[in-house]
Amino acid sequence: MSNQCELPDAPSDAISAVRFSPSSTKLLVSSWDKHVYLYDVSKEAGDSPRLIQKFEHRAPVLDVCWGKDDSEAYSGGLDWDVRRIDLKSSEQTVLSSHSSAAKSLAFSASHNILVSASWDCTLHIHHIGTTTTPATIPLPHKPFSLSLSPTRLVVAMASRQLHIYDLPALSALSAQASQAPPNTLELEPWQRRESSLKFMTRAVACMPNDEGYASSSIEGRVAVEWFDPSVESQARKYAFKCHRQTVDGVDVVYPVNALSYHPVYGTFASGGGDGVVALWDGVAKRRIKQYQKYSASVVALAWNGDGTRLAVGVSPGFEDGKEVEEGVIKIYIREVAEGEAKGKGGK
Amino acid sequence: MGKKKRNHPDVEDVLSRPWCYYCERDFDDLKILISHQKAKHFKCDRCNRRLNTAGGLSVHLNQVHKETLNAVDNALPNRQGLDVEIFGMEGIPEDVVNSHKQRVLQQYYEAQADRQAQTGNPAPGANAPKKPKFESPSDLKRRLAEHKAKKAAEAAGSSGDVTPLQGAQSPAAATQSPVPFHPPFPSHQVPHIPPQTSPPPYGQFPPYGQQAFPPSWVPGMPQVPPMPGGYSPGQYPSISPPFQGHPQVLRQNLPNAPGLPQRPAFGAPQVNSFQFQQMHQGHAQPSSPGPNQTQGVNGHNAAAFSASVDELIASTKQEMDKSKPSATEKSKKDFRLVYSDNEVSPEEKMATLPRYAFVPNNKPETVLGDVEGSVTGPVVGPDDVMDKSG
Repeated sequence: MSNQCELPDAPSDAISAVRFSPSSTKLLVSSWDKHVYLYDVSKEAGDSPRLIQKFEHRAPVLDVCWGKDDSEAYSGGLDWDVRRIDLKSSEQTVLSSHSSAAKSLAFSASHNILVSASWDCTLHIHHIGTTTTPATIPLPHKPFSLSLSPTRLVVAMASRQLHIYDLPALSALSAQASQAPPNTLELEPWQRRESSLKFMTRAVACMPNDEGYASSSIEGRVAVEWFDPSVESQARKYAFKCHRQTVDGVDVVYPVNALSYHPVYGTFASGGGDGVVALWDGVAKRRIKQYQKYSASVVALAWNGDGTRLAVGVSPGFEDGKEVEEGVIKIYIREVAEGEAKGKGGK
Repeated sequence: MGKKKRNHPDVEDVLSRPWCYYCERDFDDLKILISHQKAKHFKCDRCNRRLNTAGGLSVHLNQVHKETLNAVDNALPNRQGLDVEIFGMEGIPEDVVNSHKQRVLQQYYEAQADRQAQTGNPAPGANAPKKPKFESPSDLKRRLAEHKAKKAAEAAGSSGDVTPLQGAQSPAAATQSPVPFHPPFPSHQVPHIPPQTSPPPYGQFPPYGQQAFPPSWVPGMPQVPPMPGGYSPGQYPSISPPFQGHPQVLRQNLPNAPGLPQRPAFGAPQVNSFQFQQMHQGHAQPSSPGPNQTQGVNGHNAAAFSASVDELIASTKQEMDKSKPSATEKSKKDFRLVYSDNEVSPEEKMATLPRYAFVPNNKPETVLGDVEGSVTGPVVGPDDVMDKSG
């Protein structure tokens, strides 16, 4: 297969996140098998994609993200800890501990902060490079997904709630908070929103142009919204159905597990429990492409820095009645041809 | 008057248009269809080479890119298969040809009816002689009496006065809410009323507002059901209701395409009443083989006619309103969530599984050692429970 390759040494249990380095061909993968995997997917000069290293954790890892460069990563998982991993020395440092599992992480290079969201209904804001106690921001509900745009932080929570924080304000206020742990900072979000989708939010992803975000739900649907609170911008928001199949006249609806915006074209990819990855042009409201079905649920997606590769994490989905389903765990790297992910309207 | 033929095509033209098996789009000529298929359905997404057939693409992918082709790109869900070898119009299975014809005809007649509704002109190419502008007094009286009887029955609140004919029409028609009609009218018109504007078949259609999509795009385009067994080609226009949602969706979402018949507006009651008008005027709809048609051909009295049309519009509207809730119920029916817990995320559920259990402040070795004991305690904290209330 020339346009898609499967990574060797895939995790032995479900994948929780895949993250491409913004600047290189390295890929981080976190898994329920208690490891973070570091791959190099470069295919130049006869290199074949390979596993560079894996980093053991005490518990299943729920998310991983890149730090300031290719030498550091952050992870969070069921051991409640948020860790920094030095990818060169394999040294792990605990940055903070939540009082429940750390579900999602996001790192902002421009503000040098790491945001972790935990099922204990808090965000921890870590100012990297300082020794201050991370600020704890209480949330009204359990967070499920985080996404950063250049100036916004979107937190998708249970009960269909979303908080949008202004990143510079969040950074500045949390830097000033210097109480004793837990260093709680009651911070009013820039916007509180209710999801446009009627079901539980599964994933959220910000547009790279800082204008809005897409969110997906367990009920095969994706909503696209804009940050701008003006009536005109809010009127542009819409949602559409996807990742569904009609079987014997019954509409089988899969969760949309992953969303990832293309860094260049501003189109986005969605991955669903049906094992399908689709590319969408959120502005022209068109589907650009739908790839052939994978053998199991698509649980994580990531574009590389220049949008020429899409990492697809495939692992058994969590379905009603099946609990943990058997299935193969695979990571695919799809080479996306020039213009393949470009919106039709952009031509 | 009305001699000049507009650029509205007639049935034969519409039916003879080449169309694409994979996406049901139609084209001006075969060459365009073939280049469409090469570009949309038989193009290699790796090297952009355009192959002539799905089989050709499959071989190409296999030999050049070492991949296998499982489904035809951009095809309707039920047309993705590689088992049929399609080239242009060659190779389309007969049942698919038939259902396509039926769909085209339905659209055509709806377009025609709509055009007539807008212009008041008779159907182009309708070869029925112009009906007399008068009706014999006896006919008129008889019709008036019938109409009055009908009205009285309606006023009495009986909606059960469906003519036997209507009941016997087709099994599908019987599922619709009965519409009180003039008895003389062939019940073939019944299916034009859209109580089924949102049937499950296109539940998958992405509600992209009113955005225009090329048909090739639509991922959830409902499958065209096989024709009910009893329909012979001559009966096409007696539309089978299960089929109905499809073209309406298309019309709603598509701009008028050049070279295609004008797409009727999404206003079925009017269409319906004007079809009645049309019948009053005596245009033998080539489509309506109803035995009662002759009564409509008798002609009409202008005043009586306009009154009856008004009533029909009103009653049809009522009927529409009544049938709306049932339509939405219907669309909700067949629907299954793969993951339906709206409160607890899949990850949280996984976290409660014994094999993922974790005891904080313990070394990894001990965690591995004790599995059952530490199942729920630390992993699912008290906040999990608290949160469910929110």
